[in-house]
Parts: sequence; structure tokens; C-alpha cells
Amino acid sequence: MKLFDPHIHMTSRTTDDYEAMAAAGIAAVVEPAFWVGQPRTHVGTFEDYFLGLVGWERFRASQFGIRHYCTIALNPREANDAALVSGVLALMPRYLEKDGVVAVGEIGYDDMTAAEDNAFAAQLELARVHQLPALIHLPHRDKKRGCERTLALVRDVGFPPERTIVDHNTEETLPMTLDSGCWAGHSIYPRTKMDEPRMVALVQHYGADRILVNSAADWGVSDPLKVPKTRDAMRAAGISDVTLARIFWRNPIEFFAQSGRLDPVELEQPLAIDQRQLHEGNSVLRGQTPQVS
Amino acid sequence: MELADAVARVAPPDGVAWLTQQLVFDRATFHAAFSAAGRRLGKAPIGEVDAQRLAARGLPWSPAAGADECGRAALLLAAVGSLDPADHVPLVSDLLRRGEVRERQAVLRVLAALPQPERFVELAIDAFRSNVTTVFEAIACDNAFPARHFPDPAFNQLVLKALFVGAPVARIVDLDRRTTPELVRMVDGYASELIAAGRPVPADASLIRRAR
Repeated sequence: MKLFDPHIHMTSRTTDDYEAMAAAGIAAVVEPAFWVGQPRTHVGTFEDYFLGLVGWERFRASQFGIRHYCTIALNPREANDAALVSGVLALMPRYLEKDGVVAVGEIGYDDMTAAEDNAFAAQLELARVHQLPALIHLPHRDKKRGCERTLALVRDVGFPPERTIVDHNTEETLPMTLDSGCWAGHSIYPRTKMDEPRMVALVQHYGADRILVNSAADWGVSDPLKVPKTRDAMRAAGISDVTLARIFWRNPIEFFAQSGRLDPVELEQPLAIDQRQLHEGNSVLRGQTPQVS
Repeated sequence: MELADAVARVAPPDGVAWLTQQLVFDRATFHAAFSAAGRRLGKAPIGEVDAQRLAARGLPWSPAAGADECGRAALLLAAVGSLDPADHVPLVSDLLRRGEVRERQAVLRVLAALPQPERFVELAIDAFRSNVTTVFEAIACDNAFPARHFPDPAFNQLVLKALFVGAPVARIVDLDRRTTPELVRMVDGYASELIAAGRPVPADASLIRRAR
């Protein structure tokens, strides 16, 4: 069974992770633009980050047979830095047109400030103009209220819910998210957000329609194999392979194919791995025997 | 135009019609069109026949280059045909700096066909520092630019890097003409280093070493 991790920050991960992910069946990932762990202080840093997402990281993933797509955005936390907002928003149109950019995201709320409202709405407008879906991050603090406010804003600006993922859902937010018509992402984390047994229970209760599961693995304590591990937990709980293929492969493809930048037919073909060229100093393979398949 | 003809043979008809419209340069829509070429034209390689056809017109070209890359190269040629010459280097520099992988490849492949190509030497030398192998090969292989315009030190580094990364050295245009005693010495040195380390010497090294 091929797997799709629809939210993972590979820039923060190692080649060991890529190797383990490929071995576990992960064939495609979406890497949302996000916070890099400490505040950026220059617009140029964002541009180089965006370029890394559409360039080096996509190439790195390809060396392990994994197709890499990304989303571009000013994240909610940094939307509070007035010196950055207009400059980063001005960069985005150029990058939102690039191949492999499958949504605007992560956008949404962190502290739920007025500045965050403005950046959120402005970026939903960019998504509309560039005909892209939106990937929305739910805040970690005051999450239930954050979800209500998120869904209200999406509704008020008239952004289509079927082109929207609301991510990092919990038992308390999932019913609201599904009722709104949006797709519902779940980030399976070692200690916070959501875990495997709870995710099994949610699928048993709500089914597979518009349900997405991701690792959201990044530079913190997180696990890039949470997608296969959650699939295994669901299978052990008796959930059918048809349902699993829907949640872990067809749902993310159906959602992101709305961008017109992800070809479902191409995704069914394996990506040929060719690491022959990669034994030079700064590249991903250092003196190891290259794999060619 | 040969590039657009090559695109027409492998891209979907609506994409070809779209490209024809976009070849009338419009500053306001150029960047969006340059990026959108991937979705409009697809990535099907043009193949040996069209690559040879382009080479016969003085533009050596990779048969692996996709319809998207050929379309982007045609868009760039149309743009420089309409822009003031003083705007050419800033435009090419911007496309290389802000391009995703296949956008950069397209620009590198067509550099030799731009007016006064020697103006792009620094950009081309910087481009071959890329570790994305397809970007490296776009400037190093099936491309007349390095042999025509690189100074010896840069050309020698390009050949050595091709050996390092396993790019097909035989596809470096005019390698024989540009092989110097200094390049042979550098390749011998690399071979010696590999032999000392108990590693195989790439077969392509013989393409340079036998030139002595």
C-alpha cells in the first residue's frame, strides 16, 4: 500500500528519515512552509526558504524515490511581525505559480491577533487568485475557539470549504471542521496533538470522508513514520484496507489535485531512483554505494 | 522557431496553442507564463531527433529536455527579442535565482542562443556549482555554452565536477577542442587519488586522459 504524508517538514529531517519513510511505503509528501523554530528577521530569508522548498528539498526527496510537493505561505506566528508581513506577501505571487506548489499554507491563527486576521484573509485571497487550495493550521492554545474563529473567517471571506484543509484537529474540533465542509487533517505526534489510538477511534466514529492523517514531523520531537504507524494501528483495529487506502493515499491526492499541480496518474508510477551522481562533497550521498532502480 | 516546433511534437495541442500566444512578449504576464509552462506543456522529453535538429541549427540540446523546458527557453528568447539589451542580464539572473529546478534548467540550456552570450558567463559558472544533478547537467552536457565562453579554469572545473558526479562526460560539447595539458593533469590527479583510496576510476576519465 502506497502512503502519502500530507504535512511534513522534510527540510528539518535527515536522509535516514527519507530512507525509513521510503522503506515504510511513503511515496509522496507535502511540505508546508512554516515557522523554522526561531523568528526570521529578513524577507530574503523567506525567499531562500521558499526556493529551498521548490528546489533542493524536492531534489533530495527524489533521491529516495519520494515525490515532494510544497505549500507556500507566511505562517501565523510570523504574521505578527509588521516589518515582514508586506514584504513576504509581496513575494508570494511569484512562488505560488511554481510547479509543485499545491496550496497556500500553513496559514491561520497562533495568538489570534488582529494582525493574524489580516494575514490569514490576505492569503486566502492569494489562494483564490492563484486558484490554489488552502492549508490551515489550528492554533495549539485555545484550540476550540481558534477552530470556531478559523471556520468563521473561511466562511466570511467566501473561500470554498472543499478547497480547504483545517489541520491539527482533535476530538473537540473535528465535528466542527467536518460540518463546515472543510477537509480535516490530523497530526500524529509522540506527545502532543493526536496519537494513534485516538485517531483509530475518530475514524471508527466519523469514517474516512475528508479525513487526512499526517506526521507534521519537524525540528521538534516528532516522528516521520507516524503515517505508516497510524495505518498499522487502524489495520490492527480491523479497519479495512479499502478505507486505509482512501485515508492514506486517495484522500490527499484528491484534495491536492485541486491545485492542478499534482497529477494523480503520474503519482501512480514509481519515481525512478538514481543516486549515481551523488557522491560529491555537499550532496546527499557521501561515499556510499549508490542505489539505482 | 525550432524550439516551439519541438514542443509542438510532444506537448498537448491546447498547450501548444497557449505557448503560441505567450510567445508575444508581455512583461505583465511573462513570469506567470514561464512558471505555468510546466503545467501547460508537460514534461515529455523531446527525444534524439529533435535534439539533433536543434544541434544542426547551432544549438546543441539535450534529448532529455522536456517540452516544458523547451517552451520556457522559447519564452526567454521571445522576451530578450523584445526587451532592451540592458535588461537581458537582470532578467536571466532573476530567472536563475528565483527559478525552481526545471525553470533553471530551461534558462541554462538556452544561454548559448541569447544575444551577446558572453554576458552570461558569470551566471553560467555560478549555475554549475549546483548539486542538483539535473541542473548541473543542463549547463555541462549537450550545451555549447561552456566550450564557447568559459575561461580554462572554469571549463576544467566543470569537467572535473562531471566526473565527480557521474554526469556523462562524452556529452560535454567540444571537450576535445577544450582539453588542455592542465585539464589532463587535473584528471590524472583525480584518478591517482581514487586509485590510492582503492576506489574505481570512472570510465569517463579515459575520455580526457587519452587526449594527452
